Amino acid sequence: MSTSWPVAEFDPVRRLRVLAAGIAGARVAEQVIHAPFEQVWAIVSDLEHELGTFEADMRQVTVRRVGDGVEAYARGRLGLRARFDVDLGPGWCWMQSRFLMIGVAAAPVPEGTLVAATGGLRVPGRAALIPIGVGTTNRRALRRLAARIARPA
Amino acid sequence: MATDDLPGLVRRAQRGDTMAMSELLARLTPYVTRVCGPIALADGADAAQETLISVFRNLRSLQDPAACYGWVRSIAVRESVRLAKRSARSTPMDEFDHLPSRADVEQAADIRDVLARLTPEHRAVIVLRDLEGLEENQAAELLALPVGTVKSRLHRARDNFRKAWSA
Repeated sequence: MSTSWPVAEFDPVRRLRVLAAGIAGARVAEQVIHAPFEQVWAIVSDLEHELGTFEADMRQVTVRRVGDGVEAYARGRLGLRARFDVDLGPGWCWMQSRFLMIGVAAAPVPEGTLVAATGGLRVPGRAALIPIGVGTTNRRALRRLAARIARPA
Repeated sequence: MATDDLPGLVRRAQRGDTMAMSELLARLTPYVTRVCGPIALADGADAAQETLISVFRNLRSLQDPAACYGWVRSIAVRESVRLAKRSARSTPMDEFDHLPSRADVEQAADIRDVLARLTPEHRAVIVLRDLEGLEENQAAELLALPVGTVKSRLHRARDNFRKAWSA
């Protein structure tokens, strides 16, 4: 194939919209955060130290490599524990446990960084969320993330 | 993350494993952007997004996971043509009857310039034949066009087109 054929652009935020479209009940919240992509993603991808600062129910997160993949263990506010499979890359974080899904994506835009979030309570074993407060929860997570980025580490 | 063969990955995704869906999406995206780009041009990002949304909303309807790429290609071509036609950005010429002249094509600075002078349907024919290597009858079936239309017009377009980028 010639390298000069036009190739469509496709950033991680579009990727998150697509994946959410394939999950029943999922909603995507989006917000521009006025900070460089590198700064935003350094915080989002530091799951052990930062996930709990914007995902309200995540406490005591530990991450470990398993083969080619990543697992995370988290404890919720009520003490419930969850083991997540994690797909983490530049601008992309997707986490799935038996009862939860968390997705965050980011892409640089002229005003800073466009960040998108989706997820919620999972119908166990299915690509479906329990449609209660899904949009609100994700919008709140993005507001928390923006506030976290605005304050010094 | 476990690396899976494509049919196995599709089946896991169809069963509702969102980690498999994420991996499948990462695998399909480069292919979809290569098909959508030359057909949808400025609408390529939207066409790729709409293609993949359609793919993942209808993933469970794919009965033969080994046929995944062919299925995705047909959706990508359809969505690219639809969005490019809807857009006012393209300035299409009459369908297939007024191909750019050899001189026009040869003077073009790059492939995008040449493509932009063609209708979305015509760009789709070029992509299916020259990029995807489909036979005329396969391209005609996918585009719902008579085989003769595709066959008779394609030769002239392709000759001109190749000269444009090899010049």
